[in-house]
This record gives sequence, structure tokens and C-alpha cells, in this order.
Amino acid sequence: MRLRSHQQTRRGTEHWPAALAPCRRVGIVGVPPLEVIRFLNEREIAILDLDAMLVKADLEAASQLVPRVYCAILRTVVVNALYLELDAIVVDAGPGKCDAAFHVAAILEESLAVPVIRTENHDTEGFGTPIARGRLPLLEKLLRITAGVQRAVSDPEPPMACEPGAGFWGVPPRDFSILELFPDTTHVYGWSRCMENKTPAAHTLEAYFNPTVPTVFFAQSFCAKTALARYLAGRHPHALYLDVDVHTSSSAKAKIEAFLELSGVAR
Amino acid sequence: MILGDFGTSYCKFLDTGVAGAAPEIVATKALGPELRVDLATGHNGKRFAGRFVNELIALARGGEALIAEDSFLLLDCGSRDIKFVQYESGRLKDMGWNAECGASMGFTIELLERYYDLDFRALAVPAQTFSVTCGVLGMSHIFDAVISGIPVAEAVARFVKGIAINAYRFARSPKKLYLSGGLCANPLFVASLPCEVVPLGRFVLLEGLRRAMGQESETGGKG
Repeated sequence: MRLRSHQQTRRGTEHWPAALAPCRRVGIVGVPPLEVIRFLNEREIAILDLDAMLVKADLEAASQLVPRVYCAILRTVVVNALYLELDAIVVDAGPGKCDAAFHVAAILEESLAVPVIRTENHDTEGFGTPIARGRLPLLEKLLRITAGVQRAVSDPEPPMACEPGAGFWGVPPRDFSILELFPDTTHVYGWSRCMENKTPAAHTLEAYFNPTVPTVFFAQSFCAKTALARYLAGRHPHALYLDVDVHTSSSAKAKIEAFLELSGVAR
Repeated sequence: MILGDFGTSYCKFLDTGVAGAAPEIVATKALGPELRVDLATGHNGKRFAGRFVNELIALARGGEALIAEDSFLLLDCGSRDIKFVQYESGRLKDMGWNAECGASMGFTIELLERYYDLDFRALAVPAQTFSVTCGVLGMSHIFDAVISGIPVAEAVARFVKGIAINAYRFARSPKKLYLSGGLCANPLFVASLPCEVVPLGRFVLLEGLRRAMGQESETGGKG
């Protein structure tokens, strides 16, 4: 565990090129600006996406730094940051992520022995969303979209486009098992689509949905985006709003299964 | 074909091979481990059948089979959980399943009736209610009320009314609802719901299974 002793001087936000240049393994939270990712790629510095489950440590380990009742993705970030050997962490703490990440960055900055660099991603150049609109198992779609944040270029082999059979709106869930219930023709909306487009702060794109497609509006519990998820689900003519915390309960899975079947969505 | 709705406290069975056969009710605790049915629903169902339909789908299909209107809200109050489906113009509009915060309400109501030796058919709907969201947590309201001098029957009636109002709000506070589940037979609970109520009884999910079975045969079992 890489906690900083109180005697050590604070090594917080520094000018990022100087801080990142000597690194070999850098953790990222959210989608840092493209110039940061490009900088790391060009130097072949390994990028670890701390939003994903990378270590087997109990989520409870995060409770030494953040409350137990808190966004499970940010709790995962904290656990990863505590257990992984990293040279630095880049946290996108701007409008492309969330206020909670801003505060977690401050906590990590105070607590860890490695530099924590806060960025704000205002990138507007769209890279396209072929994965979100392609035919592919939804689980694989989200894996490829989330893996894409470690690259400064688009996915080299995007899937074939397809008409949408169902919709999944939201952030990549902490528990990906929820994604196994959807058909391969499910289109991805919300922040996940913004991720693929490499414009995480594109709020108009984030709020977009297709009203002709039965859509599950997924909300990660305690995430600020739950408000948007519920609001948009209320405006969508055929929607299911679903709030899931650490693990997807059997009743949540049954709701998705029932929603898709009763909406006439073929698997 | 034997259909089974495996609930927490009671299981319901229907033999579709016997013309006009009535469903049977068996206490869940009396089931043998060797029991097998052809098609099941209910949270215990997967243990007893090779084919399973989840409860929300069974409820929705049951509503489609039993309710003539194409816009309706159907609420199922079980022993352990509450769930609803809402249709508008023949299409699914909304649904909900509260397996946690609505926990054990039906179970607790039955437990209280036995423990206090009450007859819910004889209790009037009270003017006041307890604010309860969970059967287990709500019981402390009863104990506090009894300690303060309120008669047991009145305290339990307030509890039942609180549970009914909680279920009604969970179902989006409709003007009219169709009610499914064992609590259809509890007149105090039914009368405590602050809207028009049409009780459909406790075999709605079995009807849903029957309809799902029919749809399977229409599609050659390919769903």
C-alpha cells in the first residue's frame, strides 16, 4: 500500500509533462485530455485505467479514505491507487468526469506517495462512435470503449454498424455482468458514447437518446449522473431507469430481462 | 404440464393437462426436495424446474391474460417483495420490483395476525397510519404504540395501512390498480389502499406462466 507519511512534502499537482516524463506506469481516472494520452503513448508509458477493477483487494479497503456509502467506481479507483505500483496518477477532474472525482483527487494527492495530476478534459474533436453503434456483444463493446481511453487513436477494427435493437445509456458500470443481458444490436448512449468519441465533456452528446429504441438508463449508485439518467428516462417514451451499486442484484437483472422481453426486443 | 409459482411462504401449482383443474396451494416449508415441475416462476423456482420465467415477466403476462383493458397497473404484493407492471395502450410503460426496502411485508402481516390472534376481516381501516417502508422495521412502531396504550388491533391495523400506502406509492400512486398475491384475501389491506382496487387473487403468476407457455408453443419453443 502506497500511503504517504505525514512527514513527506506534498507532491501534488505539478506541470504534467515534467511529472509524467520519467514515469513507466501511470494510472488514469476518467478520460484525461488527448494530449496527455498522446504524451504517454509516444513514450510507451503503461497506462492503467483505475476506474476498472484491476486488483482483487476488497472494496472495503477504500473506506480508509472515502465513505463506504459512495460511488463504487471511485471506491474502486481508491483501492487501485492504494494497491498498484504506480509512478503517477492523472485524474480528469473537470466537466468530463464529476465533482466526486475532483474531491477524490484531492484526497489521493494528500494520501499517496506518488504525484497526482489533475486535468480538465475540454476536448471537442470527435473521433466517432462506431463501437457504440455496431453489432457486437454489449460486454465487448464496453470493454473496447473503456480500453480506448488508453489510446490517442480510434479503435483500429470497429464492428459493422447495425440498426439499434435496444439502448444502454450511462457510464460503464462497475459490474459488467449487467451487460450480458442485452442483445448484440444494443446501441450505447450517454457518457460511454462520449468516452468512445474522446469528448467526455460533450454534454449534448451525453444527453442524446433514440426515442424509438427501448433503452435502459443505467445509473451507478451515488454518481451525480443518476439525476440525468432518471430525468432522461422520464422523457424517453420507452425506458427503464436502473440504479445499481457494487454488484447487480438478481432483481435488477430480472428487471432488465423483463423490460427487454416485454418490449419485444429479440436476443 | 405442471406449472409452479414458488413463493417465499406459499407455492401455487397448476396442472394444465387436467381440464378445469383448480390451482393448488402448498406451504413452501412443506415442499420436498425431489419436487419437479415443467415451468416455474418465483424466487425459489429455479430449484424445482428446468425452465424458468422471471417473476416480472410472469406478472406482466398474467396481467395481459386476465385484464381486459390495454392500459392498467398491476401490483403484486407477495410475502417477501412487491412488484408492479404498468401498461399503456397495450405496451409496457413502467415496472418496479422492490426486493429490499419492501422486505417481508406480506410475511410480517401474516405473522402479526397469528401472533396477536387477530382476524383482519374484522378490523376496520384506521384513520391514522404508521410510516413504514419495511415489514421488519415497521414492527417497532407497533410495539411503541402498544406501550403508549393504543390497543393491539388498532396498532396492527395502522401498520397494515402503512404497508398498503407504501406499496401504493411504490406503484406510482395510481387512481386504479389491479392487485395480485395473497394479500388480495386480506380485506384490511385491500381497503387501506387509497385508490380503486381490483383484486385478482393469488394465481396471476400461474396465468402468466400459462400464457408464456402458449407463446413458447406458438414460436416452436424458440422464444
